[in-house]
Amino acid sequence: MTFLHAWAFGFAGLAPVIALLYFMKVRRRRATVSTLMFWQRVLVENPRRTAFRRLRQLLSLLLHLLIFALILLALSRPESARFAGQGNSTVLILDLRARMQAIESDGTSRFEKARLAAGDYARQAGPQNAIAILSAAATTEVAAPFSDDEKPLHDALAQLIPTDSGGDLDAAVKLADELLVSRPGEKRIVVFTDAEPKIQSPKSEIEFVAVGEPHDNLAITRFSARPLLNSPQTSEVLLELRNFGDKPARGSVELYLDDALLDVKPFDLKPDGRLVTASPALPRAGHGQLRARLDVKDALAVDNEAFATIPVPRKTHVLLVTRGNWFLEKMLGADELVAFELLGPESFKKEMAASFDAVVLDDALPPNFDLTSAPGNFLFVKQTPYNVDGILDQPLVSDVDTQSPLLRLVTLQNVTFLRSNRAAIPALPGEWKFSAPLRSFENPLIITAERGGQRVAAFSFDLAETDLPLRVAFPLLMSNTLQWLAGHQESARASMHAGESIALAPGQTVRIKDATIAGAFRPVKNGWYSLDTQNSSSSLAVNTFDQRESDLRSAPMSSHRPSVPAAAVRQLTRIPVWMGFAVAAFVLFTLEWWLFHRRRTE
Amino acid sequence: MVPAAHDDSLIFDSRFLAKLERLYLLSRKIFRGHQHGERKSRQTGSSLEFADYRNYTPGDDLRMIDWNIYGRLDRLFVKLFEQEQDLPVYFLIDASASMRWSPGPEALTKFDQARRVAASLAYIALANLDRVNMFYFSGELGAASGMCRGKGQFHTLLQFVKYPPVLSGATRLLQSARKFSQEAKRRGVVFVLSDFFDPAGYEEALRLLRFHQFDAQVVHVLDPGDLDPSVRGDLQLFDAESDSFLELTADDSLLHEYRSAVETFTSDLRNFCVTQRFGHVTASTEIGFEDLVLRVLRRGAIVR
Repeated sequence: MTFLHAWAFGFAGLAPVIALLYFMKVRRRRATVSTLMFWQRVLVENPRRTAFRRLRQLLSLLLHLLIFALILLALSRPESARFAGQGNSTVLILDLRARMQAIESDGTSRFEKARLAAGDYARQAGPQNAIAILSAAATTEVAAPFSDDEKPLHDALAQLIPTDSGGDLDAAVKLADELLVSRPGEKRIVVFTDAEPKIQSPKSEIEFVAVGEPHDNLAITRFSARPLLNSPQTSEVLLELRNFGDKPARGSVELYLDDALLDVKPFDLKPDGRLVTASPALPRAGHGQLRARLDVKDALAVDNEAFATIPVPRKTHVLLVTRGNWFLEKMLGADELVAFELLGPESFKKEMAASFDAVVLDDALPPNFDLTSAPGNFLFVKQTPYNVDGILDQPLVSDVDTQSPLLRLVTLQNVTFLRSNRAAIPALPGEWKFSAPLRSFENPLIITAERGGQRVAAFSFDLAETDLPLRVAFPLLMSNTLQWLAGHQESARASMHAGESIALAPGQTVRIKDATIAGAFRPVKNGWYSLDTQNSSSSLAVNTFDQRESDLRSAPMSSHRPSVPAAAVRQLTRIPVWMGFAVAAFVLFTLEWWLFHRRRTE
Repeated sequence: MVPAAHDDSLIFDSRFLAKLERLYLLSRKIFRGHQHGERKSRQTGSSLEFADYRNYTPGDDLRMIDWNIYGRLDRLFVKLFEQEQDLPVYFLIDASASMRWSPGPEALTKFDQARRVAASLAYIALANLDRVNMFYFSGELGAASGMCRGKGQFHTLLQFVKYPPVLSGATRLLQSARKFSQEAKRRGVVFVLSDFFDPAGYEEALRLLRFHQFDAQVVHVLDPGDLDPSVRGDLQLFDAESDSFLELTADDSLLHEYRSAVETFTSDLRNFCVTQRFGHVTASTEIGFEDLVLRVLRRGAIVR
C-alpha cells in the first residue's frame, strides 16, 4: 500500500482532542417526574439495557475515532501495490478535420460529441492509466502528453477546436503507436472520429469511437479566379459545386467581391451531381477578395463558403537609365502596369536603385559597378557586369529555357541579332544563383542572377541591333523581366488548401491577429490571409476543397457506444482505495447519526 | 397549600349537586351504624321493613304483637322490623408530592382530581345521611376533617378539602393505613384516593384495611404524563417526592419499556383489587370531572 498524500496522517494528532471532547460531561436536560419508580425499574431490571448503556458510550467513541481514521486514510490517497505494476497507457486521437464540424440532428457538432466521449475516457486517467491526447487533421499534434491526472487532459480537450482542413488519421495512429512503444503495460489507441478510416493495423490495440450520422451535403469544391490571357485586365472565375447526397438539390450561390454582392447564380444538382461554371470576366479592382456562398442550410457549413483572390496587379516602378532608347521608352510607356522615370547615365547613383522595383541600365553600366554594394534589382542591356571580351557576330538562338519566368509565353522564333557582346556566367558565382535562359550555343544572350532578395537580368545584346523590339515577344519579354525583377510573379499563388504548408519567402510574413508568422505558414482555417513583404502585400485564399471532407455519407448508420476494453473495465470497476475509505466513513457517519438520534449512542 | 387557581375546580354548582343527590354510595358490607340512617343493619329496629317474629315476652310493646297470628295460632308473637343506620364513610386522600406534580403549570394535578372526587363522594354520602370523615396522608396520616353528617356539614368538608395541610415525605401507604385503622373508631367504607406510587407497595396497606373490617374502595388517580411521558433525549430526572435523581437517555425503546412498566403496574393494581374484592376505579386527570363521577364511578360500582 502506497500513500500518495502521507501528510494527511499529520491530522492524527487531533484524535486525542476528539476523545477529550467526547468525555466532556454532557449537559443533560433537567426534568421532574412524579416518581422515578418506573424509570428505575426499567433501567435496573433490564440487564441487557444496563449492559448496553455501559457499552454505548464506548461504542460511540469508537465509532467517532473509526470515522476519523477512515477520513484520514481517504485523505492520504492510498494506492494498492497490487495494481501498481499493471498500469496501462492510452492514446486518445481526436479527429479535428473539417468534416467533424458537421452538425447533427440534436444541434451539436460531431466534434463536440467526440470531445465529450473523449472526456469520458479522460476521466479514467489515474496512476495505473496514463492517457495522452493527439489531435489529427492535416497534421498530427500532441495536445496533451501522457498524464495520470485528468485535469490537464480535460484542459487540453477544452483547447481543441476543429480545423477546416482535410487529412487522414493514418499519421496520427502511427504517431500514437510510436508514443506507446516505450510505455509499459497494456497499450491502447482510441480514435474519436465520425467514420472508421482505412488505416494500417497498429501494433497497439485500437478502438474507434464513432460519432455522427450520415448526412447529405452540398459543397463548393473548386473556386478560383485567374486573369484572362487575352485580357490581363479582367479575370474569370471558376466555380464547382457538388451534391454529396442521394436527393436532388436546388439553391443559389452568391458571389461577393470585396464584400459587395456581385452575382447570384441559381443551381439545380442531381443526386451526387456536379456543376462547373466559369463566370464572365470581372473587373480587376479593389482588394480582389472574391467569396462564394451557398445559400443553403446543410450539415456542414464550412464547405458552403469559398474564398478566392483575383490577382490585382500593382504598378512596377522602373528607373530607366539611358542616353535614349526609343523602343524601351515606348514599351514602358505603353504598359499601364509600369511607372518609369527616365534618367541620364551621368546622373545615376546606385543608391537610387533602392527606391525602384527595377532599374534598367541601357548601355549605361557605371564604371566599377559592384552589384553586391548596390541595393536593388537591375536589368542591364548591352553593357552588363558579366560581359567578357569579344563580340558575337550574328548569334543564333540555340537554347531557350521556356520554364524561365522571363521567357513565359515568349516566342523568339525568327528573331535575329546583328551582334551581341560576349558574356559569361562567372566561374565563382559566390552567393549568386545564375542561369542563362537564352543562349547562343555556349554563349549566354540573357543571364539571370539571384541572391537573397536581389535579382539581376543581363541582356548582352543591344536592342537596336536586333529585330526583337519589332516582335510581339519584346513587350512580353520586357514585361516578364520587369515582373520577375520586381518579384511580383511569386505572389501569383493566390490560393491553397487549409492545412497545407507553404514556405514564405525571405522577408515575407503573415499576420494573424497579434502573431506574425515567418518562414513557413500553415493555415487551418478558411479565409483570406495577407502575405506581406516590406514593399508589397498580397492576398492568399485558403479553402477546404476536399471531397472526403464534404462527403458526409460515409459516417456510420448510427452512433454506438464504444466497447470498453478490458483494461478500462478493470479501471472502472476498481473503485479507488481512497474512495472506498471515504464511502465507509460516510456510511459509518450515517450509522452514527442514526444511532444517535435513535438514542443508541451518546 | 393548593394553588388558588385549582380551588376553582372545587366549586360545585347546584345542578351538579342535584345530580349527586340521586346517587348512592355502595358498600359490600353491612356496617353497624351509630345513628339512625338509611342503610340496612344487622340490628332490628323501627323501620317499615319486616325482619322476623319472636315470642312475646312480658314488657314488649303490645303494639308490636301480630294479632292475626294470635287469632290463628292462639299464641302471642311480636313482629320485628329492620333497623336502618348510617354508614361511616372515610376518605384517605394522598397528599404526597407525586400527587401534586403536573406536567404543565396550568394542568390539573392528581391531587386536585382526588380532592374533587372525594368532595363529590362525600356529598353523596352526606345526602344519604352517612357519616363522613376525611384524612390526608403522605409519609404518615395527616389531619382529619372530623365526622360530619348531613348535607349541612358539606361546607365544613369543602373547607377541609380546599385548604389541605402541606405534608412532607414520600408516600407510605402502609404506615398511613395502620394509623388510620387505629384512629377510626367505627368500621365503614374507606375510599383510598392515591396514585399508589409507593415503592414499598400498596398490597400490605390494603390488606391491613380489610383485616380491620373496612370496606376499601380504591380510586387510582393518574395523570397522562405518568402513563406516557413526553420527555426525550439526555435527561436528568428528579423524583418529585425525594431528592434522588436519575440520568438517562430517553429513546423510543426506553419509553416503550416505561409505558409497559406503568401499564403493568396499573393492571396489577386492578387485578389485585378484583381478586381481593376491593372496589377499583381509575380516575385519570384527563377525564372530565362530571363524566368521572356520573359515569366512571358508577361503572366501577362505587356509586349507584
